Amino acid sequence: MTSESNPMGGFCRLYSVLLYAYPPEFRRQYGRSMEQLLRDRCRDLARRPGGLTLLRFAGQVMADWLRTTVRERAAAIWSAGRKPAKRSSVTEWAGTFLIYLFATTTLVQAYVIPTGSMEGNLLIGDHILVDRMVFADPGPWGRHILPYRQVERGDIVAFLYPEDLRQTYVKRIIGLPGDRIRLHNGQVVRNGRRLVEPYVQHIAIQPDPYRDDFPLAPEALTTPRGRDMLQHHVRNGEVIVPAGMLFALGDNRDNSADSRYWGFVPREYVVGKPLLVYWSYDAPTAELQELTLDHVIDVAEHFLTRTRWKRSFLVPRSQPAEEVGGAR
Amino acid sequence: MTKHRLPRELLPLTPPVFHILLALAEEERHGYGIMQDVSRQTDGALQLGPGTLYGCLKRMLAAQLVEESDERPDPALDDERRRYYRMTALGKRIVRAEAQRLAGAVTVAMARLAGESA
Repeated sequence: MTSESNPMGGFCRLYSVLLYAYPPEFRRQYGRSMEQLLRDRCRDLARRPGGLTLLRFAGQVMADWLRTTVRERAAAIWSAGRKPAKRSSVTEWAGTFLIYLFATTTLVQAYVIPTGSMEGNLLIGDHILVDRMVFADPGPWGRHILPYRQVERGDIVAFLYPEDLRQTYVKRIIGLPGDRIRLHNGQVVRNGRRLVEPYVQHIAIQPDPYRDDFPLAPEALTTPRGRDMLQHHVRNGEVIVPAGMLFALGDNRDNSADSRYWGFVPREYVVGKPLLVYWSYDAPTAELQELTLDHVIDVAEHFLTRTRWKRSFLVPRSQPAEEVGGAR
Repeated sequence: MTKHRLPRELLPLTPPVFHILLALAEEERHGYGIMQDVSRQTDGALQLGPGTLYGCLKRMLAAQLVEESDERPDPALDDERRRYYRMTALGKRIVRAEAQRLAGAVTVAMARLAGESA
């Protein structure tokens, strides 16, 4: 087999799993041929330049999969209706449903941005899809199959808020384990080098010594975890990120509740990486967090005018900051 | 299911079925061969996904428009065995009838729209 030479190998193997959404009869008949067709096509596309072609092809295949699984299931039920074996079709639908559920909960998760802490890149009311696979270590076996990489500095990451696991936060990763972090006049100094962060937005007029010169000045706003960080992980006026932890800051640096206030993000709380904005709707924070009837009516009334169309399918990008030597 | 249908009742053909039959008009092909040829026929406008392609082939086999040939490797690709399909006599009649139907529609369209575009 030549799947080694195929950069879409992971996608092809994922497709083999997705084939289980088809009726068993159909899969037995054509599953192998369909896998082979996909492999052939991927190999041909890979010979041409342009990653976008591959991406578009993957999108077409997924759309085709959604359409035809439903069609073949319906066809299977239609023909089963004439035979006595009717119960099996219910279990078959359950199988398809489970695969859909697997696809939507394991691979991606929908999520709304409720605060302006990443403003400049993500706005309040941006509905995003989070790629749950990319940072989830699938084990030594899965690493070859699934797209997986380590969290890096500059990544925008969705994670469970350590102080309340029911909430998901989106921030930018500034420090990895071992990094020494401090802020000087609102600018991050990492391992003694000042960061130039083009994605950061400063809005405050009033200086705030804790916020801008973290972790020097005493601060009352920290949570218990934040205080623990200040007590145990500060040396020579710098926070040192311990093993298994991450240090995350919001891009809207002057108005962001982030690691400065509530401490480190445990690595295992990372959910994934924002993939794209699928819908951006201009609504107040409170309405986005709970689905109320008022909100539904509001959306129905203002869908066209308050949807920020330009933001549709925007991809939030990870961006490493430039390091400038010699911070004073 | 469709064994006793007259060709006329199968018309009009859906675009994927029509183009798959055209792909098999000259020679037998395997699935990927059909997909590539349909893309060529339509200048890339019709890209058959695997589900669409094999769903259509399943129905076309049931309607006896195509039949399975044999399994053999494609010398141009690699040594994996692929299932080949070929058009039946009924398939040939049907695709011809569909082409005539479309030609008739095109003639009418040309006649009525001739004045507009000029």
